[in-house]
Amino acid sequence: MIPRPVRAVCAALAVILLAVNAPISITGQLLAYQQGYVFFTTGDGFRVAPTVRILDDRTKQPAKEAPAPRIYARATFDASGTVVELDLSHRPLPVEPLPADVQQFAVVASTPFPNPELIPKASDNAAPSGMDVGVSGKIVLVTITVQVPPSTPFGSQIFITTDASGWNPQAIAMDRIDALHFRITRHIASGTILHYLYTRGSLQTEERAENGLDRKPRLLRVSDADVRLVDDVVYAWADQSGGTQLPQPNTLPTPYNPAPFPNLPPGLPTPNPR
Amino acid sequence: MLASVLFAPVVARADAVAPSLVVHLRADHIEFYYDRYLIEADGHVRVRMSDGTTVTGDAFSMDLKLNRFLIASHVHLQSSGGNLDGAAIADFLDFRRIYFVPVLAKPDRWTYENGDYRRPIKGREMPGDTFYFPDLSHATPQLSAKSATIGAKSYVRFGDVTSYVFHVPVPLPSYYVYFGTNQDLAQNSLSGANLDLTWNATGSNNTISAVHLRHDTQNGNYLAFEQHFAGAHEYAVVSVNPATRLGKFWNMNAGDRIGNRLQLNVFEQYYTEQHLFGRQHAAASYTFLDLNQALPHSYLQAVIQQTYYNLIGKGSPAIPNHPIQLHIYGSSFNNRIFKTPFYEQIHWGIGFNHDTSTGYHNVTGLQTYGGYTYTTIWDHLLGYTVYLPNFKFGNRDNPYKTFYFNATLSAQRQWFSVPHHTNSATTNLSVSRQFSRDISAYVAYNVTNTGDYYNHGGYTPYAPTDASGNPDYGFLAFRGAATLRTATLGINYSANPDFTASLTFDRHKDFPAAVPGVFPLPPTNNIGQYLYTNYLGQPPYDITGNVRARLLPHLMIDVQRTYFFNFGTEKWSPQFLVQCTQ
Repeated sequence: MIPRPVRAVCAALAVILLAVNAPISITGQLLAYQQGYVFFTTGDGFRVAPTVRILDDRTKQPAKEAPAPRIYARATFDASGTVVELDLSHRPLPVEPLPADVQQFAVVASTPFPNPELIPKASDNAAPSGMDVGVSGKIVLVTITVQVPPSTPFGSQIFITTDASGWNPQAIAMDRIDALHFRITRHIASGTILHYLYTRGSLQTEERAENGLDRKPRLLRVSDADVRLVDDVVYAWADQSGGTQLPQPNTLPTPYNPAPFPNLPPGLPTPNPR
Repeated sequence: MLASVLFAPVVARADAVAPSLVVHLRADHIEFYYDRYLIEADGHVRVRMSDGTTVTGDAFSMDLKLNRFLIASHVHLQSSGGNLDGAAIADFLDFRRIYFVPVLAKPDRWTYENGDYRRPIKGREMPGDTFYFPDLSHATPQLSAKSATIGAKSYVRFGDVTSYVFHVPVPLPSYYVYFGTNQDLAQNSLSGANLDLTWNATGSNNTISAVHLRHDTQNGNYLAFEQHFAGAHEYAVVSVNPATRLGKFWNMNAGDRIGNRLQLNVFEQYYTEQHLFGRQHAAASYTFLDLNQALPHSYLQAVIQQTYYNLIGKGSPAIPNHPIQLHIYGSSFNNRIFKTPFYEQIHWGIGFNHDTSTGYHNVTGLQTYGGYTYTTIWDHLLGYTVYLPNFKFGNRDNPYKTFYFNATLSAQRQWFSVPHHTNSATTNLSVSRQFSRDISAYVAYNVTNTGDYYNHGGYTPYAPTDASGNPDYGFLAFRGAATLRTATLGINYSANPDFTASLTFDRHKDFPAAVPGVFPLPPTNNIGQYLYTNYLGQPPYDITGNVRARLLPHLMIDVQRTYFFNFGTEKWSPQFLVQCTQ
């Protein structure tokens, strides 16, 4: 009986010995296959051997199609860094930055040098320190709370209309949390830039600025954070002036629209002088 | 898509605002993913930019929101810098940076700045996701096309389109999509319909031409046409609806922001009865004009309504009546009252109402009182609002034990040239609390008082009783005063942003009390909804449940229904309210 520690060491040695002789390979998505090179979506191009084997990644049989953009592929290199086998797949394969030992195989005519535009600097996403925290596309929990005007009818529903929804006035419904406030929580990817306004369900009941005029859409830039809280105040609605409900456009009475005006049923007591 | 962003921890910053750019795309197969604003094209891709640059290749990918595109495989670039072949080119339009992988003797990496193709920066590092394709493994295109004209950050106009309506392919000569930030292009002038299939036939940065196939209970199936115009400060929408029926509404909805302090909005409606563009048998018009003037710490608003029931004259069945109403309102901003937590606002208004002829309901003038028919009624009003937002009490250090108290009081008196005035006052009180991360609740109490007081006489005393001799507080008891009270308990459950539920219980106690079925059912509007209920006021009890859940990454479904506790014939609200939101 071989002791357990010895077995573990033997297994590790076997893996190392196999790995030493294992060919180097990467996976990614193809960008181009032309002029003796294969390009991945990292932008890197690798020399292809004239006798390269083009296989189906699943069956390992010769592929029925030529390498083309969007197809995923596993590239296998020989010791000189030339691609000797390309396994194609329509199922997504991992797309990752190139490891250092593969990066050296990428063929490029000019000597790479850093891009100063890619160095972080202060911006709209700056942290309090002034250092740009950038955007990674991570999912951020965004909670938006709005205070509505006191004249808002108590039975009203409040919605958010956004440029991402083609300005549908009922795009995002909010929940009432008390007499003056509504709230909604959403998962939004950082980097998202959202223009939005509040409505009571239609363009006629959209919010107005404090001075009674149409207001420019609000702007939300979602930066990298775990949670983002947004507090807004709506000062007025387009169908109200101060606390007064404004007359609203009606439609003409026609045979197709026989009673367009809000009217009470007949029979209501009418006042008379005494 | 997410992966492409993840590998781009830092992106280049815009050095200059990109000019208005148009990208003309042709390919064997173009697909548009509406929910992600992605255009993907394959086969004989040809792109022509508005500066004359042309690029051909095998594949094209553009993220309309990020405003950047990629052309890959057998790329041929024809620009002011000459003709070059390469493996891929990406244009970051916002940043005016073009990243190119030329294949000369060897592959290389070149960057062009500000559209200058004559001075490539060779070897400079590129953003990590420059040449990434989005992951479309779970995405479904909404339309396919052969060509697309893309206005940067604004619109796409597709040509030779196959649109998928409920997965059924529908060939169209063109289709237009707007994705810019100008909200005025979303204005509309059509009335409601039960079903509306919109074909945005064509458009640009400032216009949309749309044909609507509609259905409603009054008109059945019909066509409507709508034309949108929008600029930086103004918009206009004109439409004819229904275009294929005898009775047609010609609508115009327009607005203009004149400077920083003045704004004009107009709704004009012209009604005709005619076959296509033939002789009109009847014609009427309605004008609604809304003028807003911002003032220091306050604003004015003028609203004018005018109706012409008969624009034809003799021969038209309509009575030549043209009522007019003019109202001017003023309102202060919300002001904090000294250093207290209270805020106030004051508003006022004057109004003019005129109607001389017999109206639609065969009633002459505006009001008959004391044997005199008033054809003109002036009114003026004064009102105020005081409110207290978010007053905290309880354990303020613990967000789950903090209570929030909100209170509002709005009151108004309106005087009329008919010798009477009306008072109205609305009071809202609420206490709310977040009990845990998932659950919040509030209780609210709302009272609305309305009084109509005549200087001489007015409503006669009346003490109605029902068949049993008990007092009847229904609408016949109304003698100029009404009080509506509502107590509400609302509970919100939010397990996560993709699933929320709420329950709202209302107790209404009104005077005059709501009496079910007191009036016959009224006519319906053109989408089959009753114009008003067959009772006044609110049922005494109702409970409303609402569930909102995410079905797809870009689609939430919102289901709501109300139970009225057997008020008359009302048990459940007539139908489920189902909305698809984002």
